[in-house]
Amino acid sequence: MSEKAALMTQGLMKSYGKIRALRGVDLEVRRGEIFGYLGPNGAGKTTTIRCLLDLIRPDGGTVRVLGIDPQADPVGVRARIGYLPGELALDSNMTVEGALRYFNALRGNKVDWDFVRQLARRLQLDLKPHIKNLSHGNKQKVGVVQALMHRPELLLLDEPTLGLDPLMQHEVYHLLREARADGATVFFSSHIISEVETLAERVAIIRQGVIVEEAEPSQLVSMAMRRVWVRFKEAVDPTPLAQVEGVTLLSTSNNIAVHLQVEGEVDSLIKALAAFPVSDFEIERPSLEEIFLAYYESSDKEES
Amino acid sequence: MFAEFKHTLRRMRGQMIGWGIGLALYVVLMVSFYSSVAGMGNLMEDFLKVYPEEMLAFFGSIMDLNTPQGYLDIYYFNYMTVILGIFAVGACASLLVGDEEKGILDLVMAHPVSRTALFWGRLAGFVAATVVILLVSWLSWVIPAGRSGLELTWVEFLQPFLPLFAELLLFGTLALLLSMVLPSGRMAGMTTGGFLIANYLLVGLANINQDLKPIVQYTPLHYYQGGYAVSGVNWGWLAGLLAVSVVFVLLAWWRFQRRDIRVGGEGGWRLPSLPFRRRAATGVSRHSV
Repeated sequence: MSEKAALMTQGLMKSYGKIRALRGVDLEVRRGEIFGYLGPNGAGKTTTIRCLLDLIRPDGGTVRVLGIDPQADPVGVRARIGYLPGELALDSNMTVEGALRYFNALRGNKVDWDFVRQLARRLQLDLKPHIKNLSHGNKQKVGVVQALMHRPELLLLDEPTLGLDPLMQHEVYHLLREARADGATVFFSSHIISEVETLAERVAIIRQGVIVEEAEPSQLVSMAMRRVWVRFKEAVDPTPLAQVEGVTLLSTSNNIAVHLQVEGEVDSLIKALAAFPVSDFEIERPSLEEIFLAYYESSDKEES
Repeated sequence: MFAEFKHTLRRMRGQMIGWGIGLALYVVLMVSFYSSVAGMGNLMEDFLKVYPEEMLAFFGSIMDLNTPQGYLDIYYFNYMTVILGIFAVGACASLLVGDEEKGILDLVMAHPVSRTALFWGRLAGFVAATVVILLVSWLSWVIPAGRSGLELTWVEFLQPFLPLFAELLLFGTLALLLSMVLPSGRMAGMTTGGFLIANYLLVGLANINQDLKPIVQYTPLHYYQGGYAVSGVNWGWLAGLLAVSVVFVLLAWWRFQRRDIRVGGEGGWRLPSLPFRRRAATGVSRHSV
């Protein structure tokens, strides 16, 4: 394991009866990065996070969080972590402040209360009402505040912006970037691809309990198929373009315009186009969403 | 651990107030009736003799109604194991699993609190809440007793509360243990509550049918003295009840250390499918295999 790893799993496995939730998850998150954990519902995101916190015990594999085995020293690990569960549940009879003070007491009353007020102000969260009177979004804000209030070294966030309006979503993004700037590592799961694309420096895609890809979002995009439209000043023979590695000719329009599909980087194609009288050139950049869907569609096809 | 203890007490304050005030009012009423009941003397005995023998035997001590210990037993301690037992079983069955089923425990346990501290902090909160309720009841007997002829010392009043406390602890810890093993807190509560009521009835029926005596001696309420502990606590029985509670607590703690914190029922056990149900589910008949 790298010294710089904030968290690491190797061959992590967990089953619930006959359901194999994790089938050997290998992850490494570096210290000080924002890491997105992407996958559809039921892919194993929450199970992975709950193994990291020793809420559930894996059936196999290795887990290290901030260099510590969570099963060997769960309290030591949790003292340095801020956690936001995917399905946040709070004691409905407590006030917001009462709940936060209770969490503070569990942390040995070490939290700077001015920072709590500052977080609440930024998220427009009133500390006085009872939890039972809060909307889903406001409850989520309580969850965000309790995860951040002790300035943890590592943030484990399961769907952090669930139920928040777009303004508050952006405020949470700001808070997470600030936490990272202060040296924290952020590991968050999401099935909202735009959120991962906005926030994450690296991404892992999990599918049916296995990591199918791990890379920077830009790398994922560059590795993906993209479509290119080229218009020429005059009719040309496009055959040399179709012979470039990774390029497929999809269609031509009187040899004045061509529609190509490129797999991987476009460098070779651009060099080949230098020999042609190009008047216009357009690349359709695939979104992370398309890449994500492509992973799932291709996997489904493989299975069928 | 102290944070969890305080938190549990705060959450149980409604139950402490409700049970405390309710029982206090009842006890004060019973204390005020004592002088009238004791004053009836032989008249009460003659009146009770009219009742069927089986019914009198079921309640065991009913003929002692005009003595302080008989009165305390019949009007309070005899059935308080069931009444307060419901509180103890309900509170302990949901002590940890209640929050687990609501999803609250997931967040609590993500804080730097060990499973041991959480377990013992909450259990200590329950024990303290039970002691407060019993203390209020005890004071409700002691304070007005002098005016109604219940001439017992405060120690004599305290003595029957000790076996009652031990029984509540035993049934409470049994519910806690079952909540760690069974798929839901409700199931643990129902199982323990059912056992408590069945045991209460069995003890009464054993007074009528001597054949039940060998069975009843293996049940906790057989070792419950009720109001008769006024004359002296059976320390052996008390120690036995407490020892069984300790075993239940240790088993529950051991189990809590090792189990997954469940979300949405994951990790719960299921009864094995019956053979015909398995065939129906797979659509394969015995002969086609």
